[in-house]
Amino acid sequence: MSLLEVVDLDAGYGDLQVLSGVDIHVDDGEYVTIVGPNGAGKSTVMKTIVGIATCLGGSIEYRGTDIAGMAPEEVAHERIGYVPQSDNVFPTLTVEENLRLGAYVLDEVPQDRKREVYDRFPALADRPGEDAGSLSGGQQQMLAMGCALMLDPDVLLLDEPSAGLAPDLVDDMFDRVDEINDAGTTILMVEQNAKEALRRCDRGYVLANGQNRYEDDGDALLDDEEVRREFLGG
Amino acid sequence: MGLLQEAIFGVVTGSYIAIAAIGFTLIYGIVNMINFAYGEYLTLGAFVGFLAASAIPVPLPVAVVLAMIGGGVISIVLARGFFTPINHTGPVPMLLTSIGLGIAIRNAIRLFGGRSARYIETETTTFRFDGVPDVAIGSLDLLGGFFVTSEHLVVVGSAVAVFLAIHALLTRTDVGIAMRAMGDDESLARVRGIDTQLIRDSVWVLAGVLAGLAGVLMAIQTNVSSTTGFSHILQILSAAILGGAGSPYGAIIGAYVIGLALAISTAFLPSSMTGLSSAVAFAILIAVLLVKPSGIAGTEVREA
Repeated sequence: MSLLEVVDLDAGYGDLQVLSGVDIHVDDGEYVTIVGPNGAGKSTVMKTIVGIATCLGGSIEYRGTDIAGMAPEEVAHERIGYVPQSDNVFPTLTVEENLRLGAYVLDEVPQDRKREVYDRFPALADRPGEDAGSLSGGQQQMLAMGCALMLDPDVLLLDEPSAGLAPDLVDDMFDRVDEINDAGTTILMVEQNAKEALRRCDRGYVLANGQNRYEDDGDALLDDEEVRREFLGG
Repeated sequence: MGLLQEAIFGVVTGSYIAIAAIGFTLIYGIVNMINFAYGEYLTLGAFVGFLAASAIPVPLPVAVVLAMIGGGVISIVLARGFFTPINHTGPVPMLLTSIGLGIAIRNAIRLFGGRSARYIETETTTFRFDGVPDVAIGSLDLLGGFFVTSEHLVVVGSAVAVFLAIHALLTRTDVGIAMRAMGDDESLARVRGIDTQLIRDSVWVLAGVLAGLAGVLMAIQTNVSSTTGFSHILQILSAAILGGAGSPYGAIIGAYVIGLALAISTAFLPSSMTGLSSAVAFAILIAVLLVKPSGIAGTEVREA
């Protein structure tokens, strides 16, 4: 059984439907990416899973529980780690306070998890009392990931983690994601940087116009003539 | 009277404006509305304190605590009745609702309580310092003898206690950090699992408690009537905006700037023109906003 299973999902924002009949499944320990052109609905898949976008039909099962249509604050209790693409930290809160809120649904802040986050991202450990808004773009992205990791999530949803990063930081970011996946956390990632994402992942989906177009192993998609021509710029 | 004495009055005024302005700015920053009925919360809190102290009667500290509890209860009941149901409609309908609610409450109080001002009986001790030399510049005396009353000390002491308590709440507790998080980004707060309605309710109760305290302190310091709160709402609003709307720390600074400006301008203005002192406070507000539109401690203007 899949850890996360999205079946025949229709979703959007208010009356505006973005996704129609999207199927995505993620198995325990897998590293899955969703790629596709702008406006394909990649981010909407994530936002619907965590309850920000409106689910109009279909089902989303996490560990066998249907979470489709739940409010974001309810989904948070399922301990799904989610890193939004932008506005993913509280700018006037300190690094430490942001991490504390990462564990808001837990009874207390797990100190060992916090140490692991600081070990993984030493740049954060150097400035626990600084406002998140004063951090660089790369550091904010690390903090956002750290907040999601505070839940010790079984699955981590990453929405375009490389967006807005300086080119020399992009590789580093993908390395971090590899590390997190190697440590046993399942990854579902949306990426604009399709080639690199498909190289790194186990399995990929190509989404276009709010619908599934292709699904295969990452390498297979990279080698696929049609996928290359249509979506990867040759 | 010397400038030093005016400054003391200014600090006292600034203190109760600051307590109220913290509540006002928390509602603005977290519930995302300008609550023009907030002055009435002060009036109602002051009346609760007055009734407790004179009708029951209870000792003054107990009356103050009852005023705070009363303010909190009134605030959450009014929020549940009038503001929470229209929370999704945005800031403007909520502002208009609060203006209407304020008019209704103010007149209801006048209907039942009459126009006259009521006084809370207190035993006041006055500490005089007459030995201070005058330092006169023209008609202006920079120092001079001054006095401080026990009521002044209660007001300023209460304000300092509130500042420390609010700071501890906002930086040490989950609910306080969640309040600040909601002020930053409500959508991300929900993703983190924060029950935003619970936090809004907490803000309403807290703002009401602060209004009750500010109102009863005004009543102790001067008197209480149906317009006690309303006559201060523009000063509270100015303090909050001056400090950077949504920032409680900025509101504290803004309140003391307004309080001191009101008091000290009376020393400079001819005695026939002291009514202009509130205009001076607003002139400072306009000047600060021209230089820094986000206010003293403000970071950015929040999107509606």
